[in-house]
Amino acid sequence: MTRPTATLRRLERILVMVPWLLDQPGVGIDEVAERFDVDREELLDDLDLLGYCGLPGYGGGDLIETSVFGDQVEVRMAHYFKRPLRLSVREAVTLLLAARALGGVEGLPESAPLTRAAEALERLLGAEAGAGARIAIDLAAAGDEHVPELRDAIHRRRVVRLTYRSGDGRTTTREVEPWTLAAVGGAWYLQGHCRLAGGPRDFRLDRIRELDATGQAADAPPEVIPPPVYRPAHGDPSVVLDLAPAARWVIEWAVVDAVEPARDDRTRVTLRTADLDWAARMVLRLGADAAVVAPAELAVRVGELARATLERYRRS
Amino acid sequence: MGVADRLERLINLVIALRETRVPLRAAEIRERVAGYGQPDPDTFRRMFERDKADLRQLGVPVETAPIDRWGDQVGYRIDPRRYDLPPLALAPDELAALALAVEATGLGDVGSVALRKLEVDAGQPGIWRRAGGRPRGFEVALDEPHRDVLATAQVTRTAVRFTYRPARAEPAERTVEPHGLVHRRGVWYLVGRDRAREARRAFRLDRIEGAVREVGGPRGYPVPETPVGVDDVVPEAPAEVATAVVAASPEVAWQVARRARGAGEADGDWTVFTVPVGDPTQFCEWLREHGPEVEVRAPAELRSKLVASLQELLAQVEDIAGGGRP
Repeated sequence: MTRPTATLRRLERILVMVPWLLDQPGVGIDEVAERFDVDREELLDDLDLLGYCGLPGYGGGDLIETSVFGDQVEVRMAHYFKRPLRLSVREAVTLLLAARALGGVEGLPESAPLTRAAEALERLLGAEAGAGARIAIDLAAAGDEHVPELRDAIHRRRVVRLTYRSGDGRTTTREVEPWTLAAVGGAWYLQGHCRLAGGPRDFRLDRIRELDATGQAADAPPEVIPPPVYRPAHGDPSVVLDLAPAARWVIEWAVVDAVEPARDDRTRVTLRTADLDWAARMVLRLGADAAVVAPAELAVRVGELARATLERYRRS
Repeated sequence: MGVADRLERLINLVIALRETRVPLRAAEIRERVAGYGQPDPDTFRRMFERDKADLRQLGVPVETAPIDRWGDQVGYRIDPRRYDLPPLALAPDELAALALAVEATGLGDVGSVALRKLEVDAGQPGIWRRAGGRPRGFEVALDEPHRDVLATAQVTRTAVRFTYRPARAEPAERTVEPHGLVHRRGVWYLVGRDRAREARRAFRLDRIEGAVREVGGPRGYPVPETPVGVDDVVPEAPAEVATAVVAASPEVAWQVARRARGAGEADGDWTVFTVPVGDPTQFCEWLREHGPEVEVRAPAELRSKLVASLQELLAQVEDIAGGGRP
């Protein structure tokens, strides 16, 4: 679907603004500008051009009356624009998607109002098209019991203390200034400034062993927070694996650089990682369904883990 | 022609079409609506066609209707009942929560205009902007090509056709009557009736290749009787085949406890849990991921399956590791 042009965006805004202006004679011009997120000059232009619009004939009683006296605005004689334009199916579905997504997360103060809003939107869509919209969104993932407490810490801008077991198998305790909670690819993450690492870090909620409030105030989050997906950095090693069909899900799950057919029914996949210990754990998990092709260092680490694990079974 | 002239003409066209008692013929629009004073009929036609398309893109219901009994001549109008937003009267907390949800899901491109309409409906435009700025604190990744097209097709009951690439088969064309959309564990699914298979199926949106085409028009199939929910895309849980005895180090005991039945018993500083086993292969994956931090003690078959898989892996990597170290 194409995006509306700037002109159409402006028309859209005028059509939604007029119903409110009709209802609020004498409202302050700055208030209108703030509520509709438009600058003052453009708003005055909008009001000016509305004065040239009306019923065919365009005589005295036909035109919309707009007046600006001092800092106050008044619009009259536009009964046909008493209501905002109806939501398109796409707009209603978009709001419903948003409401269903966050409304399904348990324990948030927003859950109940979003569920009510979603029901209202479904009624609207049902009246519109008969079938209604059938959208189910489930953001449940291991560790999501921490979401309400973290949401509260983000909201109140308070430092949290995490005991965290990272993908490479190490457990640490760290203080984090929480910025945002992200649900991406079937997992929940906390993103924030890690005081232990001295920089921004992403934490998977299912790896949080303990979570405590500290009551310490945190700094404001940055304007832009990149999503919690791995972005290969310069110098991150490449890993090449041959995957059996049962392990092909790795291709859809990880950020991979290349995929090509390999011997037998295997698939050769190339991916980069910030951390060979993380890759070693993944290979260990896949077992005989993944064969390490490169680098040799990864094979060494997988070997160490496999030997240490086998050792446990030899002893007992 | 300036932007203001074009905006004025579009607004005047909406008013004229909304307020007319009988549909207006193109010639009448050219004559009466301000901004169309064009001597050349072709120029007028082009202007009018473009305006009509633009208004429809915004969702303004510009209808074509016959104006004589034989349907030889058509006119245009806007039905006020289809133009006006029906009252929803959302409460301020509902609007504020929706604003957060739109921001969190990154759906602002379409969602913010839609939200504005509901805010005006409730007499509260820009309520969150006045309450302290952009709502933040959540990011939910819901983007997926085809999502909007399929959601609209489902609501309007329009069948769709696309090329689908299943996990273990060749890509093939499918024709589907959409029953609903489901998002679970980061993946979008279309649930619908596969016309060739005459049965309900779930399709991963990320396995659709190329474009999704509409087949036939809206209301092309009956409203499905069975509702759609997350269960439609949850693979049937493997029956519990056994329970395993798993010992976990203090390091990972809390993670193992999530899957365990009961609290577990101490064994030195380790904890011994009873854990239900569904699919033994997946269970071994989970055990291996924890490396030397867990040990499966029973049943014996599971223990030997795990040991065998580790030995096989070790043999494989020792080849590579040995080759890399002269």
